[in-house]
Amino acid sequence: MITLYDYELSGNCYKIRLLLSMLGIRHEKHAIEFYPAAEHRKEAFLAINPLGELPVLQDGELTLRDSQAILVYLASEYDTSGNWYPLQDPRTLATVTQWLCFANAITASAGGARLADGFFHPLDADACRSEAHRLFRVLDEHLWFQERERQDWVATTASPSIADIACFPYIMLSEEGGISRIDYPAIRRWTDRVKRIPGFIPMPGVFPAGPGL
Amino acid sequence: MSTPCSDPVALGLWHPLAAIEDIPPSSDQHTRLLGQALRYRKDAGNQVAVFDGDRPLPVTQAYGYVWTCLGTPARPLFDLPEYAEPDRRNVCAATVGVRVSAPRAVENFLDMGHFPFVHTGILGVEPHTEVREYQVELNEDKDEILATECIFYQPQAAAGASGGIMADYIYRVPHPYCSVLYKSCPTDESRLDVIALFLQPVDEETVRAHALVSVIDTQSSDLDIRLFQQTIFSQDKPILENQLPKRLPLDPRAETPIRADKVAIVYRRWLRAKGLQYGVIPAAA
Amino acid sequence: MIDLEAARYLWHPIAASSDLVPRHVFHAQILGRELALWRADDDNVNAWENRCLHRGVRLSIGINDGTELLCQYHGWRYANRTAGCTYIPAHPADAPARTICNNTYPAMEQYGLVWSGESPEGPLPVLSTVDTSFFTPLRAVTVNATSQDLLLPLIQGYTTRLPASDDNRPRYGADTPDAFTIILRVADRSQTGSTPVADIAFFLQPVDAGRTTIRGILCGIDEHNTDAQTLNDLLRFHNRLLCTIRDRLESTLADAPSPAPWIPIIAAVSENQASLPAMSDTGNSTPLRIRVASIDSLSPTVRHFRFEPLDDLPESQLPTAQPGAHIDVQLPNGLVRQYSLINGPGETDHYAIAVKREAASRGGSQALHEQLRVGDLLASSVPRNNFTLRRDAEHTHLIAGGIGLTPLLAMARALHHMGRPYTLHHFAAQDTELLFQSELQAMSGEYLCHVGLTPSQTAATMAELLATPDAHQHLYLCGPAPMLQCARDTAAACQWPEHTVHFEYFSNPEARDDSSAFEVDLARSGLSLNVPAGQSLLSVLRENGVTLPSSCEQGACGTCRVTVLDGTPDHQDVYLSESEKARGDCLMSCVSRARSQKLTLDL
Ligand SMILES: N[C@@H](CCC(=O)N[C@@H](CS)C(=O)NCC(=O)O)C(=O)O
Ligand code: FES
Ligand SMILES: [Fe+2]
Repeated sequence: MITLYDYELSGNCYKIRLLLSMLGIRHEKHAIEFYPAAEHRKEAFLAINPLGELPVLQDGELTLRDSQAILVYLASEYDTSGNWYPLQDPRTLATVTQWLCFANAITASAGGARLADGFFHPLDADACRSEAHRLFRVLDEHLWFQERERQDWVATTASPSIADIACFPYIMLSEEGGISRIDYPAIRRWTDRVKRIPGFIPMPGVFPAGPGL
Repeated sequence: MSTPCSDPVALGLWHPLAAIEDIPPSSDQHTRLLGQALRYRKDAGNQVAVFDGDRPLPVTQAYGYVWTCLGTPARPLFDLPEYAEPDRRNVCAATVGVRVSAPRAVENFLDMGHFPFVHTGILGVEPHTEVREYQVELNEDKDEILATECIFYQPQAAAGASGGIMADYIYRVPHPYCSVLYKSCPTDESRLDVIALFLQPVDEETVRAHALVSVIDTQSSDLDIRLFQQTIFSQDKPILENQLPKRLPLDPRAETPIRADKVAIVYRRWLRAKGLQYGVIPAAA
Repeated sequence: MIDLEAARYLWHPIAASSDLVPRHVFHAQILGRELALWRADDDNVNAWENRCLHRGVRLSIGINDGTELLCQYHGWRYANRTAGCTYIPAHPADAPARTICNNTYPAMEQYGLVWSGESPEGPLPVLSTVDTSFFTPLRAVTVNATSQDLLLPLIQGYTTRLPASDDNRPRYGADTPDAFTIILRVADRSQTGSTPVADIAFFLQPVDAGRTTIRGILCGIDEHNTDAQTLNDLLRFHNRLLCTIRDRLESTLADAPSPAPWIPIIAAVSENQASLPAMSDTGNSTPLRIRVASIDSLSPTVRHFRFEPLDDLPESQLPTAQPGAHIDVQLPNGLVRQYSLINGPGETDHYAIAVKREAASRGGSQALHEQLRVGDLLASSVPRNNFTLRRDAEHTHLIAGGIGLTPLLAMARALHHMGRPYTLHHFAAQDTELLFQSELQAMSGEYLCHVGLTPSQTAATMAELLATPDAHQHLYLCGPAPMLQCARDTAAACQWPEHTVHFEYFSNPEARDDSSAFEVDLARSGLSLNVPAGQSLLSVLRENGVTLPSSCEQGACGTCRVTVLDGTPDHQDVYLSESEKARGDCLMSCVSRARSQKLTLDL
């Protein structure tokens, strides 16, 4: 059985919940209270992940940390279509990886501003916000040109990839850190598309989309 | 947004700062209240002292939280007698920052109509959207608002609930920035669960929302209770942060109430009568 | 400083047409005012105040369902085009007051851009100095600077060569017809090699204090005759250049204090919306002027009429209707008749009715069928809804007899669109009465036709389909009086709770008796009046200056309902249910009289 060490309000845990749901993978969740109790910094959890970070995924003997790594594992192991993480195609695989790294930068900036404002973590919220805007500008530009080429997703895949899943949560939660998305119309359209992927589930702070056409 | 507060009503109120159990002992902590930076510190005996610069401020420790007042307290903190009942589980659920005024957050707390749309599958679910007629009164002696006979269909009314019920609610607003609700207890029909929302106005358009859950529930762990409440609060957050304007407009013609909003109408009128300024857009004279 | 006041009266581009993809809500802003911009499935572009009238929640986080925009907080639904509220889930039994209507702004599409403004005057700006036979919008770039700050750097970015710039870049001459427009015309076309060159029009959209969006269009490039790669390269080139201009300007402005945001004034809601509205509002009686836009035969005896407003100015828009509503149409022969609207959700640019030519016509259907021509002008009432559809049922049963399908068709369309489960039963004398069959078959609900049944077969079928009552399901009945009576009796016999049974009669089949005389006291106006035999209460009230809406004037539609404070009414209507009649707390002033000597009314 797969076990996800999970905190419901964490965007990083949400990435994993999203992919598990989209791939229809049965799993158990083990709740770790990130805030205010900071269970992830306590001994019991440090024994599972010495970095003291959520999420962690256990699948049999395998214990994995880092949401991007977990997405890579789940897609490679369980996605029979091979579309979510296109192992067969080096160039496409590389663009997926590139945007996985970008997702991590979004977590640090947009996610950081949310932690500072919502959960009172000692981070420089203004610095996080300006970095997030810099990244959002890059992504919006990218997605605008993707749309022109009839590409719906962040990487050059024909269907959604784990890069979309990795970028989505902290973009959707950015307003909690005071980062408006009004200047990023292509990002806003892409978030609607992600919400319409079969198997999509919301999290507190993220509303589902209505039906597409 | 951090001009110091000059509203005598807000300055004379008790305001919550933090859950006492969350304060690390013997180290200075910092927060903001009504645009003012404050420092507080808990000693080894769990006594909390609050300072504005070097000036010590009045302190009340109640309902799991530390409260202070920037001016002269107009009256003691409101009563919450259930907190002292021996068989209750009193849980401080979390303190979260929200970009909204305190009165908007209170109104949201008093609102049942949003349950199916915002707390989908938990506190409500479509098509069960009806808000039935309920009673509201302003108790002049206690100077608090009471809404009774509130009923709403809930698929999962609390952490310890299994299956849908018609939940009964009673709402109290004993303080301009605090509200308490009493609702059917899924595990004991003769009792009511209590959920209180205490808002700390950081500035006019930002709050720290503090939640107290006081329930009759021998099954759920503290963790379950806290996580349930955190989920509910976090579902409200994107709504509250997308309300325009962020301060609550007291002009009756700013928004369109329906019968379900009776309690909000009384609340706005009550704030108007108090002459409260902080966190609201006063009605034109 | 830009002249804010003057800018309010201008048209500004606020989005690209291609930004408004189906089922999406675009978040726009102009002069500090946020707009929710959405394209309906019928391609109409809506530009609305980005604020739900109820509790101020941004509609840009709501849902565009193709016909209506749903607010995320309490699920209020606002109709395409009119922005009228069509449903308030917290009060499922009420028709929302017609006056609950969001603030709308004009929206026009031109040059691949969507244009709007606070109160733009005159026609859309026309580009006369460039070739507008083709236009290609550039990617919009938003800059943290005022349009004033941006003007020169933008012109310089295009007219002076930078060391790192592309050699093939054409030289431009700049022209600024107004503070928000820059026209760049290629000065020297000889130098540019194989890359297509184009004149460019830039519009500076004043978003907010210190925020401006550059919206550019390339003029005269025929996209179909241009290689896609070349065009993309060109768009990328301009995007890079604009981003460079943006980044440089922002870094020179980095230390400037950010200006206070512009606070737009938001119109107050109308007086009657500010206080708690009554259970439902039947509306005033100001007539609407409508034009017959089309007449089509649906069957040998049924015609479909489409009515449109006299012109397409926003102020002549038709008031929003909800399923179950009817309009009172003043016919060419002077008669006034009620017809149910069959419009589906979001169909707000017209009213549609389907009318059967009755052999025993009281003159209404005959006049419509024989005298009305396309282009004729008519007067009609605003839509009234005394047959409101609750949408909180776990299942809805729509039971129609013959042309009684019409209000139920509007209901079925709404339920289908919302994805709510329903069943539609259509009882008809013959196949030709089964209207809208292919549409109904394609819809999500179950659709069952019962054709040519005798009264006893009808009763048996009714007994079968109403056999299991359920307090969470609702019945909506409409049809000829005998069929309706049969359905109501069967529902009662099967113990359907009365609150789940809703019905609408075409007309009151019962004979009315107006031989009694009685007194009325009007509690609020303090009047005491005598109602003599042979005259209706309604007409006595009107003679004495009490204005009351009415519609059918035979006790069938519910429009003239009045609250009774004291005394015992003699109902005579077919609108109220048995228990409502027994309660005696309201009456239909057009037909009801008194059993007691006197009635006290809440008027
Ligand atoms: N304003 C609070 C929202 C608090 C709140 O709304 N709480 C209500 C729901 S809206 C609640 O906890 N209800 C619990 C219940 O009904 O069981 C926040 O900022 O998060
Ligand atoms: S705020 Fe939009 S429906 Fe209530
Ligand atoms: Fe809520």
